[in-house]
Amino acid sequence: MTMPTLDFPPFRLPPDAEELRTEVRAFLKEILPNLSAGERFKSWNSRSPEFSKAMGDKGWIGITWPKKYGGAEKSFLHRYVITEELLANGAPAGSHWVADRQSGPNILRYGSEEMKDTILPRIVKGECFFAIGMSEPDSGSDLASVRTRADKVEGGWRVNGTKIWTSGAHRSHYAITLLRTSGQREDRHRGLSQLVIDLKSPGITIRPIINLNGKHDWNEVVFRDCFVPDSMMLGEEGDGWLQVTGELAYERSGPERILTNIHVLKELIRIVGRQPGHQAQVTIGKLAARVWSLRQMSLSVAGMLQAGKSPAVESSVTKDLGTHFQQDLPEIARVLGESEAADENDIQEFLDVCQMATLAAPAYSIQGGTTQVLRGIIARGLGLR
Amino acid sequence: MASDNETRDMFVETASRLFSEQATREIINAFEKGTWPADLWKQVEETGLPWAAVPENVGGAGGNVGDLMAVLREAGRNAVPLPLAETGLGAMIAGEAGLTPPSGPLALAISESGAPLRIEGGKVSGKAKRVAFASVCDNIVVVASGQVAIVPKSAVKIDVKQGQTGEPYDDVSFDAAAASASAPSKVSPERALELAALARTNQMTGAADRILAITTQYSKERVQFGRSISTFQAIQHMLAELSTYVAAVAAAARVAARDAEEGGDSFSIWAAKTQASDAANKICAIAHQSMGAMGFTYEHILHHYTRRLWVWRRDYGSESYWGAKLGRAMCEAGPDAMWPSLTASKVAT
Repeated sequence: MTMPTLDFPPFRLPPDAEELRTEVRAFLKEILPNLSAGERFKSWNSRSPEFSKAMGDKGWIGITWPKKYGGAEKSFLHRYVITEELLANGAPAGSHWVADRQSGPNILRYGSEEMKDTILPRIVKGECFFAIGMSEPDSGSDLASVRTRADKVEGGWRVNGTKIWTSGAHRSHYAITLLRTSGQREDRHRGLSQLVIDLKSPGITIRPIINLNGKHDWNEVVFRDCFVPDSMMLGEEGDGWLQVTGELAYERSGPERILTNIHVLKELIRIVGRQPGHQAQVTIGKLAARVWSLRQMSLSVAGMLQAGKSPAVESSVTKDLGTHFQQDLPEIARVLGESEAADENDIQEFLDVCQMATLAAPAYSIQGGTTQVLRGIIARGLGLR
Repeated sequence: MASDNETRDMFVETASRLFSEQATREIINAFEKGTWPADLWKQVEETGLPWAAVPENVGGAGGNVGDLMAVLREAGRNAVPLPLAETGLGAMIAGEAGLTPPSGPLALAISESGAPLRIEGGKVSGKAKRVAFASVCDNIVVVASGQVAIVPKSAVKIDVKQGQTGEPYDDVSFDAAAASASAPSKVSPERALELAALARTNQMTGAADRILAITTQYSKERVQFGRSISTFQAIQHMLAELSTYVAAVAAAARVAARDAEEGGDSFSIWAAKTQASDAANKICAIAHQSMGAMGFTYEHILHHYTRRLWVWRRDYGSESYWGAKLGRAMCEAGPDAMWPSLTASKVAT
């Protein structure tokens, strides 16, 4: 009988990463004194250029990158710890999030020397933010079907098409944009490339898409004969698909797939008080056990990534389980908190936090790979397809 | 005391080969009908696996609790119908107290607040319920009153009861039962219960992994509507979901075993047993749904694993028991301690 291929070996963060954790905790305690419970849980969806600048001053953006671009040449695990602390403390880290997590590393790996010199030091300082130009009106989960085109012209590319769900495009400097540089839509992943596009370029229109919370984070980004110089091509023309699939393990197993609304658990513990009834103890214990186990899975994937492996299936498993935990948490907290509140006076504020968390929750299992896409990847890993 | 990788690999390899070859369905079924698998026990005993974590100076293999947990994962993966967890831990606790564990299988009776046991002057008193395998063991290791005692079966009264795994879960009455040996224990009853919960958690991860293997294999072989059912997206997504629960139990069990091996806090065990017991029903439910009527028959092996998960989730503390312990400690520590506790695997104060 063939045994399953899933493997999550225990992994422990190295002592110097844990020392950094202490430092980050102290910094956040100092810089984020008066956030309300409601504000804290927005975290990586909440943008504050001032906060990002302060993070840059500490040297905590692009911490893994080479010193010549302003990085600290620390390990991926140091970044992991910073990310965890930002989320758990509800820091408004949304401005630099994408640049630090995937745009910078992509540029570092595939970009021209000129691109690295001009962009990376600004990301590190917390002054340069990125959006992700992947989805299109007719290309969501099926990313290989993109039809935004870049046609070769003298000295560069002329871009035409539309990107959608582009988080923070209106408050970012660049978008790494997946587009077709040769062939037709039917050619699928062949002929796709990524361009680093300056969002101030002529020929770009950014229109807001308001989400169900009434918030403006998403955008529609329309390119009409937008010129992008040759030097902004990421890697070789035609390598776009390889690049986007390569970054997914980092994107899917990170702490943001587990801890985005962990603040709800903290508020639940606050509302039930120090000596809650037995059922409240059990429910809180089960939630704590779930998130602790998930964190061990995420750490295990981090250890594999650090060791140079490509745990695509394990990271999909972690994201699937993590996003469902995050969707269950506000519901379980709401019901328990309402019936077990130690002080009736605090209950409305607590329920407001739960309500906000509930309204944010549907996005978790859509962004960064839907449940259905992830389960397809896992099924392939199990040898079912 | 850390174990080196080579020792661990040797234990696992021996266990895996022996269990997969010898713990056959016939033997598991026969035990359920009352025939103790004496030959299987003899073979297992010859390998020394039950004494994996017993000090060498009292006749053990000189490994540690992490080695024992690795062996138990293999036992769970093969539904081995033997008291390996109980013998392994009973012998370890007795051995650490300087007692030489007797040969043969051991049952384990741990004093709990709801069912207290006492050891006084070499005699054991009290009643213990659901003592796994008691009636087929020659000796019972009792952990109570700051001591550990080895009590021969002949000195106790056993009310034989069959658990839903098909194995004995007996009630044992100790009426000033004379121990053949007793000594001050390094392991408290509370710690013994945690170690037993850790053992079951590791058996559960083995069984859960096997359930995933059985169901994925079956889905590839079973043909309906002219194609193997594994090609249906509905089945693919069910089994993918199943694998996420299996993976969570495995990750938790292995981290808890590592932490116990390295002398870590109890937190990991509380969390891991809570996670494993909490996930058991979801794992079993999806597994059975994916296999239709076939998986519900006695003839098929699936139930040997699902029934064990359903019973083991209750053994040595359910998700309610350990969940309450974990939740109580986290509430006592207060909201600001939540995140530091989760990262340290220890309740922050």
